[in-house]
Amino acid sequence: MHHQIVRRAGAERETLWVLLAAGAILASATLAVGLRAAPDADAPLAAHLIDSRTGLTAAEQGLYADLKAAGEEIAALRTAEGRVPTPEELASEALPPFAADPSAAARGGHAWTLAETGDGVAYAGVSAAPELAGSLVLRLDGHGADIWLKRAAEAPPAPPEDAALSAAGWKRIVSTFTAGVTR
Amino acid sequence: MSILPNRGPNCGPNRRLILAGALAAAAMSAAVVPVRAVAAPAGRRRFGVTLHPYYSYVANIVGDAAEVVPVIPAGFNPHAYEPRPEDIQRIGGLDAIVLNGIGHDDFAGRMIAASAKPSLPVVESNADVPLLPAAGTAARAAGKVVNPHSFLSITNSVLQVSTIARELGRLDPDNAAAYAANARTYSRRLRQLRADALAKLATAGTASLRVATIHGAYDYLLREFGLEVSAVVEPAHGIEPSPAQLAETIATMRKLDVQVIFSELNFPSAYVETIRRETGIRLYAFSHISHGDYAPDLFEREMARNLDTLVLAMAEAAP
Repeated sequence: MHHQIVRRAGAERETLWVLLAAGAILASATLAVGLRAAPDADAPLAAHLIDSRTGLTAAEQGLYADLKAAGEEIAALRTAEGRVPTPEELASEALPPFAADPSAAARGGHAWTLAETGDGVAYAGVSAAPELAGSLVLRLDGHGADIWLKRAAEAPPAPPEDAALSAAGWKRIVSTFTAGVTR
Repeated sequence: MSILPNRGPNCGPNRRLILAGALAAAAMSAAVVPVRAVAAPAGRRRFGVTLHPYYSYVANIVGDAAEVVPVIPAGFNPHAYEPRPEDIQRIGGLDAIVLNGIGHDDFAGRMIAASAKPSLPVVESNADVPLLPAAGTAARAAGKVVNPHSFLSITNSVLQVSTIARELGRLDPDNAAAYAANARTYSRRLRQLRADALAKLATAGTASLRVATIHGAYDYLLREFGLEVSAVVEPAHGIEPSPAQLAETIATMRKLDVQVIFSELNFPSAYVETIRRETGIRLYAFSHISHGDYAPDLFEREMARNLDTLVLAMAEAAP
C-alpha cells in the first residue's frame, strides 16, 4: 500500500529556511568583519617632530610647502653659481617665502637671515606674528632639506644643529605620503 | 556643477560595479582583439597622464624629447569618468604614466592592472608634496585620505613638476638633464604667475579674507595666500548638501562673518544661488582645470585666471 504524507498548509518550513539563510549570512558577515585586519595604528611622533598635515596652522602649512620648493631652487642656484644665495637675492627672484609680498605679511611677516651650519647652510625666518605662524629654519646640507618650527618670535641657536634646536624647543616638520590609499 | 552622485575620491558601490563591468569588458575585448601597443618612434618615450594639469606639467618637462599621451580623451570629466576598453588599450603603448595618485585618478590603477602593461612604471607626482587632510565624508582611512586637489596650487605644482622631472629622468636617463632644466624653467614661470598676482594684491592693500568654498578643492591655493577656509558647503565633491546641511552651513557662514564664497567654474548649482541670496555674500568661481582640450599652456592660463579671481575677491572685500 502506498502511503503519502501530505503536510498541512503553512509557511513553517519556508520560514525556517529563510531564518537559516539569514543566520548563515549574519554569521559569515560577522566572521568576515572579525577576521579583517585593523589598520595599523601609526606610532606617535617623537617629541621633536611635528606633522605637517595635522600639527600646523594654515599659514605654517603654506610656508612649509614654499620652503620645500625653495630648497630645490636654492640647491639649483648653488650648483649654477657656486655660492649660497642670500635671502635678499631669493626675494628679488620672487621666491616664496622670501619675497616680501602681501602673502608674507599675511603669514607671519618673517624676517629671513642666512647662517652657516656644520655641513651646509640654513635660512632662519623669525616670525613677527607667532600666533599666525611660528619661526622657521630651512636647513640644506647638500643631501636634502629639513625644516624646523618654533611658535615664538625667536631666532634659532647658532649653529642650528639637531641637538641644539631640539633642546631649544624647535620641532622638525615631517610629512607623510601613502601611495594609492584611495585606490 | 554636475549632479552625478559619485564623483571624485568617494566612488560608491554603484560606481565600483560599473567600473568592474568596464574592466571585465576590456579584458574580454582584449581576449578577442589582441592588444597591439603603439610603438613609439625609436628613442622617443611615451608618457601617459590622466588629468589636464598633469598634461601641462609633463608637456613642459619633456618638450619634444618625449610624447605625452592623455589616457582620458578630452571632453571627459575625470570626476565622472568610467574606464573604456579603448582607453585601457592605450595604456599598452606607454613607457610610464604620471598620476595624481591621491584620489583624483583612482580609476588609473585598475585600468593599468587590466591593460597589456600591468607593471607599467607609475610616477607618483605627489610623493614630495605636503598634503592636507580630506574634509567631510572623504576623511577616512584613519586620516590617511588627503585632499587630492594639490594641482590647484602654484607651490605644490612646482613640487610635483620637480618630482615628475626627476622620476622621468630615471626612466629616460638620456634626457634627464633636459627634463631637469625644462622643469626649472617651467617652475620659474609658474612662480612668476603667483608673483604677478601678489603684485596686484599689493595695490589692493589687503591680504585677509574670511572664506567659504563649495567643495574642498581650493585649500592648497588659499594657503599660499595665508587664507584658511572657514566653511565647506558640500559634504563631498559633487554631493549636494541636504536642506538641513544647507541651513546649518548658512548659519555657520553668518556666525563666522564669511566675506566670499568660492565655487567651481562651469558648474552652476541652484543651492549656491540660495546661499548667495540668503547671506548676501559675494560669489566667485575658480577653474578646476579639468575641462577643454589638453594643452601645454592650459595650466598656466587657468591658474592665472584663478589667481586673478582670488586677487579680485580680496580687493573687493577690502574695507
